[in-house]
Amino acid sequence: MIEIRFHGRGGQGAVTAVKILASAIYLEGKFTQAIPMYGTERRGAPVAAFCRVDDTRIRERDLVHEPDMVVVLDPLLNRSVDVTDGLKKGGLVIVNHPGAAKDTGLAGDFKVATVDATKIALDVIGRPITNTAILGAFAKATGLVKLESLAEAVKSELPARLIPTNVDAMKKAYEATNAPVDASGFKKAEIVKKTSTQPMISYSRNVSDWRVIRPVVDKAKCVGCKRCWVYCPETAISLVDNKAEINYDYCKGCGICSEECLVHAIKMEREEV
Amino acid sequence: MSKKMSIRDLREEEVMWSGNPACQGCAGSIVGRLIFKALGRNSARVEVASCAPGFMNIRVPSFFGPAFEGGAAFATGLARGYKVIGREDITVAALIGDGGTVDIGFQGLSGAAERNENVFWFTYDNEAYMNTGGQRSSATPEHANTTTTPVAQYSRGKTSDKKNVPMIMALHNVPYVATASVAYPEDLTAKIVYGKGIKGFRYMHIFSPCPTGWGTDPKDTIKIARLSVESGLWPLYEITEGHKMRLTYKPRELKPVSEPLKMQGRFRHLKDEELSVIQEQTTENWQRLLEMDGKTIF
Repeated sequence: MIEIRFHGRGGQGAVTAVKILASAIYLEGKFTQAIPMYGTERRGAPVAAFCRVDDTRIRERDLVHEPDMVVVLDPLLNRSVDVTDGLKKGGLVIVNHPGAAKDTGLAGDFKVATVDATKIALDVIGRPITNTAILGAFAKATGLVKLESLAEAVKSELPARLIPTNVDAMKKAYEATNAPVDASGFKKAEIVKKTSTQPMISYSRNVSDWRVIRPVVDKAKCVGCKRCWVYCPETAISLVDNKAEINYDYCKGCGICSEECLVHAIKMEREEV
Repeated sequence: MSKKMSIRDLREEEVMWSGNPACQGCAGSIVGRLIFKALGRNSARVEVASCAPGFMNIRVPSFFGPAFEGGAAFATGLARGYKVIGREDITVAALIGDGGTVDIGFQGLSGAAERNENVFWFTYDNEAYMNTGGQRSSATPEHANTTTTPVAQYSRGKTSDKKNVPMIMALHNVPYVATASVAYPEDLTAKIVYGKGIKGFRYMHIFSPCPTGWGTDPKDTIKIARLSVESGLWPLYEITEGHKMRLTYKPRELKPVSEPLKMQGRFRHLKDEELSVIQEQTTENWQRLLEMDGKTIF
């Protein structure tokens, strides 16, 4: 039996990804399971989903604790969640990362394959929803499923208007995937349990790794009209010397400030990994 | 009548901690922040089941989370308790979602309004039960696609119109009823500052888009709220003493309703004829409101 765990953020489609994967492998004549992890997931919060594949009927019904493969949909996720927790020796990690395998911050007795799924998703679909792109990379790196059956399975999970772009993203990611590299010699990035920089109540948390794009203020253009300050849902913008100042610990990268700025002083830039 | 304010008149002091677990681009958290910025910290928060208790890190000394249907009853008890101990200066602010107001909490709300309890009731209206995944409520507009009114071969979304709760509350003859939008923070604050000075039951209905439930881009939250006001879908008005009606924002010319509706995923299926029906109803409704503007109604 092959067990797969997907790590993503709410809104990136980890649950849809396991459903598509399970249906695709089922179409190839195997037994599969797709299990979402239920909790208080909101858009941007870390989530997990699981998939099992076997040649015979699967009797297990619990969550996957010791996966053979791990798929990570977000490049910054391994800084706040231990994505390789319980991964079997000689396992495989497929991670959405723009750099090479050694830059991902993953190290241990397993292989790492990378693909810049966020870029592909932004180019092809237009939104940073990386689930279908990463499935293309999964097909290439593991050989467990054919690209055609993934394209067939997408039809049952997504609305018709989204199918062509998502299949295209899959194909692009399939071609762009870097081959798995042994990760035993790499340096492991530290997992930081992020806490607030100010003494605040327990609800207050560092949400800096939720965002894909970050707002950057052009201080020369800013006129201090306070519009971004009043419309910021996170209370992350303050005015220092009558210029907008963003606290990146609490910015979720929604883009309201950039959209509402009358003098176009706030630009959205892709978050560096 | 509320006095005109500008963004510069808003209180500098922050009443809400940063770092809440709300979705990206959540209008509800902007609403919560603006309300308590205007009310100040000398207030008590009552919130029933909704996104609000979970994500609003509001620095108000007392917070209460009663049962879903008991919001108004609880606020009543709280207001009367403060009266007994001689602390009527504390504003009892009920911050309730549209489900807790228009469906589940409506009997208690109507009772509290009829008794004219000293409560300031805020509804932040995201037009469905968004905390549980987007089930339809009475505040959901016609044709909206929700998880319980899905658009399919023979279904065109919700079949009935949005319940006009601000007008129903005005008919209770309460001292103050107002509608507001998250895109007009100065208007919202002015209404709260005016309402704070009145004794009795005050009701405020705030339009707050939900990017997750409405299928919109998080960056468009404020834009949709503004376009909804400018197109007449969500008119801004206030009704004082139960009958004096005034429109607080009158666009010179209404924008077409297709502008805000086309941006929302829940209205993606709308056909041109359905859009023109909505446009007709909206224009008619706006004309009716214009006739009532500045007059005594009911």
